[in-house]
Amino acid sequence: MLSLKDAQLGAFTFFASALPHDVCGSNGLPLTPNSIKILGRFQILKTITHPRLCQYVDISRGKHERLIVVAEHYESSLEDFQKQGKSVSPEKVLQIAYEVLEGLDFLNKDGLVHRALGPHNVLLDCKGNVKLAKFGLYHMTDHGADVDFPIGYPSYLAPEVIAQGWSHPSDPSHREPPRRSGPKVDVWSLGVLLFELCAGRRLLQSFDTSERLKFILSLGCVDDIVTVVAEEHGCLEVIKELPENVLSLLRKCLTFLPSGRPTPADLLKDPVFQEVSIHYTPFRKPVGLFSSSLRCAHLELPDDISKLCQDDKEDYLAERAIDEVYYLWCLAGGDLEKELTNKGIIQSKPPVCTLPNFILEDGESFGRGRDRSFLLDDTTVTLSLSQLKTRLTDVAGEAYYPLLEDEQSSLPHSNSSNELPAAVTLPLIIRERDTEYQLLRIVLFDRILQAYPYKKNLVWKEARVDIPPLLRGLAWATLLGIEGDIQAKYDSIDKDTPIPTDRQIEVDIPRCHQYDELLSSPQGHVKFRRVLKAWVVSHPDLVYWQGLDSLCAPFLYLNFNNEALAYACMSAFIPKYLYNFFLKDNSHVIQEYLTVFSQLIGFHDPELSNHLNEIGFIPDLYAIPWFLTMFTHVFPLHKIFHLWDTLLLGNSSFPFCIGVAILQQLRDRLLANGFNECILLFSDLPEIDIERCVRESINLFCWTPKSATYRQHAQPVKNMTEPNGFGKAPSYTTTDYQDSPKTDLSREPLKLSELKAEVSPRISAEDLIDLCELTAATHFKTPTKKPRSGKPKVIAVDIRSSEDFNRGHISGSISVPYHTAFGPEGELVPGPATATLQSFRGRVIVVISHAMTRASVFAANLVRLNYPRVCILDGGINKLRATGLLTVPSPQI
Amino acid sequence: MKKNKGKISTTEKEFTFEFRAGKQHYVLTVPLQFPVQENTSDLLGRLKLLHKLPCFVENDLKTALCRFIERETILDYDREAETLLQKLTTKDLDMDRLTDSWAKVYSESTLEHARPEEPSREEDFADVYHELIHSPASDTLLNLEHNYFLSISELISERDMELKKLQERQAVEMDSVMQELGKTLSDQDVNAVASQHFDGQQVLESKWANELKQVTTIQKQEYQEWVLKLHQDLQTPNNSTINEEIKVKPSQLSEASAQMFEEQQLEESFTIHLGAQLKTMHNLRLLRADVLDFCKHRRHGSGGAKLRRLQTALSLYSTSLCGLVLLVDNRVNSYSGIKRDFATVSKECTDFHFPWLEEQLEVVQQVVLYARAQRNSKQREQPEGPKNGGSDDNTKNLERNTSNILPGEFYITRQSNLSEVHIVFHLCVDDNVRSGNITARDPAIMGLRNILKVCCTHDITTITVPLLLVHDMSEEMTIPWCLKRAELVFKCVKGFMMEMVSWDGGISRTVQFLVPQSISEEMFYQLSNMLPQIFRVSSTLTLTSKR
Repeated sequence: MLSLKDAQLGAFTFFASALPHDVCGSNGLPLTPNSIKILGRFQILKTITHPRLCQYVDISRGKHERLIVVAEHYESSLEDFQKQGKSVSPEKVLQIAYEVLEGLDFLNKDGLVHRALGPHNVLLDCKGNVKLAKFGLYHMTDHGADVDFPIGYPSYLAPEVIAQGWSHPSDPSHREPPRRSGPKVDVWSLGVLLFELCAGRRLLQSFDTSERLKFILSLGCVDDIVTVVAEEHGCLEVIKELPENVLSLLRKCLTFLPSGRPTPADLLKDPVFQEVSIHYTPFRKPVGLFSSSLRCAHLELPDDISKLCQDDKEDYLAERAIDEVYYLWCLAGGDLEKELTNKGIIQSKPPVCTLPNFILEDGESFGRGRDRSFLLDDTTVTLSLSQLKTRLTDVAGEAYYPLLEDEQSSLPHSNSSNELPAAVTLPLIIRERDTEYQLLRIVLFDRILQAYPYKKNLVWKEARVDIPPLLRGLAWATLLGIEGDIQAKYDSIDKDTPIPTDRQIEVDIPRCHQYDELLSSPQGHVKFRRVLKAWVVSHPDLVYWQGLDSLCAPFLYLNFNNEALAYACMSAFIPKYLYNFFLKDNSHVIQEYLTVFSQLIGFHDPELSNHLNEIGFIPDLYAIPWFLTMFTHVFPLHKIFHLWDTLLLGNSSFPFCIGVAILQQLRDRLLANGFNECILLFSDLPEIDIERCVRESINLFCWTPKSATYRQHAQPVKNMTEPNGFGKAPSYTTTDYQDSPKTDLSREPLKLSELKAEVSPRISAEDLIDLCELTAATHFKTPTKKPRSGKPKVIAVDIRSSEDFNRGHISGSISVPYHTAFGPEGELVPGPATATLQSFRGRVIVVISHAMTRASVFAANLVRLNYPRVCILDGGINKLRATGLLTVPSPQI
Repeated sequence: MKKNKGKISTTEKEFTFEFRAGKQHYVLTVPLQFPVQENTSDLLGRLKLLHKLPCFVENDLKTALCRFIERETILDYDREAETLLQKLTTKDLDMDRLTDSWAKVYSESTLEHARPEEPSREEDFADVYHELIHSPASDTLLNLEHNYFLSISELISERDMELKKLQERQAVEMDSVMQELGKTLSDQDVNAVASQHFDGQQVLESKWANELKQVTTIQKQEYQEWVLKLHQDLQTPNNSTINEEIKVKPSQLSEASAQMFEEQQLEESFTIHLGAQLKTMHNLRLLRADVLDFCKHRRHGSGGAKLRRLQTALSLYSTSLCGLVLLVDNRVNSYSGIKRDFATVSKECTDFHFPWLEEQLEVVQQVVLYARAQRNSKQREQPEGPKNGGSDDNTKNLERNTSNILPGEFYITRQSNLSEVHIVFHLCVDDNVRSGNITARDPAIMGLRNILKVCCTHDITTITVPLLLVHDMSEEMTIPWCLKRAELVFKCVKGFMMEMVSWDGGISRTVQFLVPQSISEEMFYQLSNMLPQIFRVSSTLTLTSKR
């Protein structure tokens, strides 16, 4: 989006028409409210950026189908000329005409028609350049079908528009939908506008609406429309004196029959603009982040670099993009309804005064007159930025231009890094509502994202602090490593040809996150369908499983106007976290996943695990939708965002920890209840405190040895040499266990039945070596960086007989011989070793033995005794023999 | 290709594209549906895939295709527009009707062209009152209201006294007549005396009713004038003479009788979450009370009563109104049963804002007649149109008396003089609700749904619903009957509340379920146990974690 510059933010409001009572759609579901349809259709307007058009920023739904649209706004418009009552110079008229046509032509290229051209919708910026406003109204209301008011102003309607008549779908006498208008209707309206400018007065002022329209229609049987209109308004003299090119422009615009009237594109090339057009360079769309063309291709530095930073009294906020400013305005306490109410645009009557008297059984109400407050008043109100500006007075100018390069420098290089620590300690919810903090984050992220992929590592680093909601879509895409010309790839996928999955997709979409306005809009459904189909078609080895729709939802929501990015993100996300989950026969993958999950519950919370196993409440019963959809099926979008902000930073085993964290939040209720209650509880998952869940899952993750979540069906090792040469983001949390190269000390795949038999997870020898910080192990790669909290504390328990133990063991391990460890009741036999074990309760207990079965039984016994964090060394002591790490205790002196 | 629902007539046109690859010359022809619905770049991708086009023609193809679509679309627009304009010149289209319909819609839907609004006294008063009640003057207002209330109360107790005296006198007279029955007096004479007594009562009652009405009217007028004046005076800052405090008159009535309720009231509150992913929070309350308890003012000027009155007054013109569902029979009046009781209660205090009940009911009667007429004419227009369930016997009923309303229909009255309620939904039910086998499609239940819908559209955030769909218990209402009914209503209301989320975006509401006074305490707790099983009660927040 372009930056704010001297523009202002404006808001106007209107009502969508109410739906008839209790009518169902063809699929048996309730009809979508018209306001939601409009909201969905509006979204695309946000992407329409052109110097001659007012940038659309946002739309919001109020009560009772009210919609409020926020857009770029200027106080002055062509109406000002009319108020002055003077005619405008021909040069100025040509300039205005050319600029309006530029805007219209750009709209037409995107398939839009203005239809509501009028003097107060042609705004003028400070330099006197034209900015068209309200050009999206016709599009967002489905050509006027979703509102009760006509679009356009009587004096400016083209004859063919009037001839269509006023028809509305809610009107039973008109069954056909309103006919759509083509680009030429705007040319007529422009003609009327230009005529008014030339004549210096408004047309048809003295007539009432019906007469005005009749007059316009009657122009069909006139030869020279311009002369007739001029005569009618007594300004023939003025018109006659106009230069020939202006007159010919007027004639061309005011051609009665559309076939004779040029389109905006035709007119722009017309010789009448010969002198004007040379002053204008065609607008070039800025290149987005993911495209095949060079982003810097058209970057031009001024000859004198110092000119760039000439004026030091700059308004830094005005240099930010208009949607950022609006976002901050909202954070700083901006309230659209209040602004509009203050200006008297929203006038609501107390509801007690507007109640109907009588309601029939089918819900039709009687006895209420038409409420005047529902009438259209499309005046645009300027939103005052003063509150935001006072809020941001303390933000230094440097904060708007953070330096990214010298990361290591000890100098306080950017304001943000100075201030962040203070704010970072606050809860995320508060940070997301803090105006200054968000400004800093947005500025910083905006800059880093611009530098993607070069600054990929910085994205990871900053994302670990938090991700500003405004830029989440792009930030996620970079975290997922999206690169390349995604649009071309997406375009080349056939999303139209019917496939067998269509039916299922069609059934699932109207049930997926429909509380959300965007996703429940018809536009949302269309986009859902396209992205899902594109994924299904482009992944022939995988199939559509129910749940894929939920998985798609967050990406689609964040990249609503960029299906290609949504598709790319989804395609990158699934192999990373849900590798092979969408196979036609995915049972082995899911079974292994759930078994590992079950082991992790036992690892982190033995008491809960014992209880759940006892009542037979196994993960298969509740956790499949959790993992298959990465929790998108169970949480609302705003919670998913916070969850995934962290999930995307973690590796593919992080979801296990989230699962355990959810269970722990419901711990008390689960422990207190039996099987039936648990099933009921999970059938409709209670509210989960997501911030706590994230915090705890990170904690759990840190306590989990990496190899404990080993899965043989996980994504195989990727090719580590990445083309861009920046390497993986170095982090303990991000590197997958599967990513590290396989050595002798890694875990061996296990049969599912064997895996299922074990209560505790196995860990690999290399993990053990790493965790116990056994030296001399230089031949394998250690993770480069660890979270500051440090590695989990470990105690190795050697359960071989004491002779074996004495013959060689790893240093620091304690000997608890298997045969003597447990009493007949399964309790630990007291002794010095068991006392040590007891005293180290809470540490990760690694059971080491010769035979795996024995270790697994031992571990199971410990879990039964509610020992947390018990795991088994995969392969037993034998694995370690080759490493030379076994030590013989020096004989006691 | 996307299926066209026959909405817009489509035409097929052929797009041809020629290109050379090496020495070969190729021609690509594609049939296209106009108006073009699909995305051009998608179409392009599909063409490339389908015809295995070489990538070097991609850009040419794209420009050619775009140009073709653009040109053809404009031609279509032009042709369509010109046929329309043609019709105008050939008079196939009536120009007057056309322009009038435009003029009508402009004047009906846009402020710019609408007729200026005539000032509404009711709304002006509403604004003034809302402002005053939210100012320090609210105390004065409430005291004034209370004083008016007391004088009405005195009047009513006087009336009751006089009626009682008359009845006593008549009883004595009747006794003496009865003793003479068969001796000097015949049955006829007794009847004559009885009818005389009845007439006497009627006369007295109507006399009092008139007086009451007169006093109320005067009070209302005085009050409104006073409020407007107060508002004016407050606007001019220096003039604060009117600000003299109005003190609450001590009530001269004995307050012993006023303590009937509250003791027997049982109530239990729940906080629930609705929705699968996004949850909205609502409050539910189960109450055992008389339905009119929500309407009656406590006579003793205790603090609680005043607070409640203030609460009601504050929210009267706000966007959080309180509603009550009253179950009535099919006639719109206030002559019998609960309707009469309600009317009596509503007269205990002057309504300073809205027309009084009888007047409102008269309006409703007219609206009902109008609605019937509308419906009939509509049905005649489209005989094969969708019929609502059981319309056959409905129409039979209707033909008998069009001023009666049907089960599931309801009318709304507005009151400012009730203690906890602003809006009363008079929901029509028939004897069917007493039977044990009503379903979720029953008119009464549908009526509830529509009531909740009105609550959404008119910002009624607290609604009281009779849980068992009856106000009084009778013998056939056994324990299983009660449980079954409660389950049905709970479940239906839950469904409707979930639906409401899509109507209003999930505003938190309070729904009060009311059960009659006469059910046992045990029954009440059975019902209160049932509620959390049907609704998902939110877990209590534990501040101290065990771990």
